[in-house]
Amino acid sequence: MTTSSVSSTVVIKPPATRKRWESWLIFVVVSLYFLIPLGATFYWSLRGEKDVLGFEAYRKLFADTNFLPAFSESIVNAIATIMLSLLIVVPTAYWVTLRLPKLRPVVEFITLLPFVIPGIVLVFGIIRLYSRPPLLLTATYDSSRVLLICVYVALSFPYMFRSVDNGLRAIDVRTLTEAAQSLGANWPAILFKVIFPNLRVALLSGALLTFAIVIGELTIALYMAQHTLGPYMANLTRSKVYEPSAMAIVAFAITWAAMGIIDFVGRGSSRHAQMIDTD
Amino acid sequence: MSYLSISHITKQFGDTVVVDDFNLDVEKGEFVSFLGPSGCGKTTTLRMVAGFEIPTAGRITLDGADITEKAPNQRNVGMIFQSYALFPNMTVAQNIGFGLGVRKEPKEMISQRVEEMISLINLEKHANKYPYQLSGGQQQRVSLARALAIHPQVLLLDEPLSALDAKIRVSLRAEIRAIQKKLGITAIFVTHDQEEALSISDRIVVMNAGLMEQVGTPFEIYNFPQTQFVANFVGSLNTANAEVSDPVKGLVNVNGVQFITASDIKSRKKGDAIRVSVRPERFSFVSEEKKDNVLDCVIENITFLGSVVRIQVRIGEAKFNMDTFNNPFLDLPKIGSKEQVTCSKEAVLVLDE
Ligand SMILES: Nc1ncnc2c1ncn2[C@@H]1O[C@H](COP(=O)(O)OP(=O)(O)OP(=O)(O)O)[C@@H](O)[C@H]1O
Ligand SMILES: [Mg+2]
Repeated sequence: MTTSSVSSTVVIKPPATRKRWESWLIFVVVSLYFLIPLGATFYWSLRGEKDVLGFEAYRKLFADTNFLPAFSESIVNAIATIMLSLLIVVPTAYWVTLRLPKLRPVVEFITLLPFVIPGIVLVFGIIRLYSRPPLLLTATYDSSRVLLICVYVALSFPYMFRSVDNGLRAIDVRTLTEAAQSLGANWPAILFKVIFPNLRVALLSGALLTFAIVIGELTIALYMAQHTLGPYMANLTRSKVYEPSAMAIVAFAITWAAMGIIDFVGRGSSRHAQMIDTD
Repeated sequence: MSYLSISHITKQFGDTVVVDDFNLDVEKGEFVSFLGPSGCGKTTTLRMVAGFEIPTAGRITLDGADITEKAPNQRNVGMIFQSYALFPNMTVAQNIGFGLGVRKEPKEMISQRVEEMISLINLEKHANKYPYQLSGGQQQRVSLARALAIHPQVLLLDEPLSALDAKIRVSLRAEIRAIQKKLGITAIFVTHDQEEALSISDRIVVMNAGLMEQVGTPFEIYNFPQTQFVANFVGSLNTANAEVSDPVKGLVNVNGVQFITASDIKSRKKGDAIRVSVRPERFSFVSEEKKDNVLDCVIENITFLGSVVRIQVRIGEAKFNMDTFNNPFLDLPKIGSKEQVTCSKEAVLVLDE
């Protein structure tokens, strides 16, 4: 558009400006679509006290003895999920890229299964399977929690595999591995000096997406009677007026902070992005 | 026994034979190129020397030791890739020091060697840059330094110049050759560019469909191709269908025109269908000099190629290209005019298919 306006300013300019108008309009409409509900929720959350705007709802939320335990339980679950998921996904994705590229579509399909199966179906299937011997895992709260984390690991596969896979594609693992091998490196040296450092951003983005899922997950935790953030929030909605909104804003802030960290770390190693650009 | 010996190597992937009975002895300090079209098995052969593929049959020995099944990181072999394969998370200096680092060499020794290598490739100013901050040519030089830093017994280069533009390609190939000579290192260089192979190598292995077609110096490969494939692949070539008319005297008939050849056709019978090949630069006009073959022709087309002028002539029914050096005072014939061209009998090749 801009190049054509050089040749004949008079005729070309109106469409060009209209174009800019249009894009602004779209931008504003889309922004409103996101901002209005968010603003309304925030406004609502500030009305915890009669006739004044303030942070009363937030104070009550944090004062609730069930909130922080639920919150910390979710965070611990999320971290455990991330660890397990990384341990399974990174070596798998690395090996598939390196040695079994033909298997990629199969692995990709398997990692997508959590998208295909609705959470409610998944949870009843899991409860049926694991609530009788020999795999009796729903007997105690803690064993259920382990089971829950395992389910979350499966739920994280689509995000984790995709992030790691993208990261692996961006660095030509195969050639880098071979270069390192011919220079005398053994497997640990290749993994820790070459592969992991170059996957930092990918690992982080996969981890943070997983974090966001686990923090907000409701259905499965609810049916497995876990006291995590999701069921806590659902319960809150039923019994309180303003606190759920405050809770939503807190959850939003956490997610936002997570995105901020991705962006920050991503910028720190923007050399990967540039490297891909110039190729 | 030679320094690097590749004997009777065969490689199969499933049922397909990708390299078939490959035999080559490389002397210490020699620069050997593998030349051939895409898919002929050059990379596969190189990767077997590097240890990334294990041959289905045959042995590879290096400096007296059998390395056929040794893991790549146990061999002392430097590898250069078309895509440079520098580690993006490391600076130039860290990349070059990587091989010595994983060998747990002492720190001072590493930094000294890194410095040495950096000055070898003239990148002193860029030691602390990351690969993405360098041009392609600079990156490939770093990759050369990185491979050389570990004092490899053989340097393997898989189309190292293919990703670079024409100017850099020519200057970097000269640089690679100069460094290789200076260090006296044994090198195997894979390329599908015949000019590159001719200009850089001590010896060339021409490969086709997994088979070695011919091994020889660039001079031998170009001037005395032993097979039709080699003649076609290296340099440009005129080829025409012909018939043997006198096997003893070496006379062949190309669409009614008699040619005399120095190639040995005694084993053929009169009337056998063959093909004759002549390089375009072996023809000249009779007006300059008279050789064994003097042939009437019609000028069909003239193409200016810079240093060379390519003239298409029709001899009888067959069309041939003839190359002549350009000069500003060149007196070119007119298109459609009748002329006489000449070539020696050595220039007329009858090759094995
Ligand atoms: N891992 C593999 N599995 C199956 N077939 C393979 C494998 N590697 C190579 N091939 C096949 O072997 C043949 C030779 O491949 P190779 O890479 O050695 O060719 P090349 O001469 O290096 O070609 P190019 O000039 O295109 O690099 C090709 O037909 C290729 O498809
Ligand atoms: Mg190749």
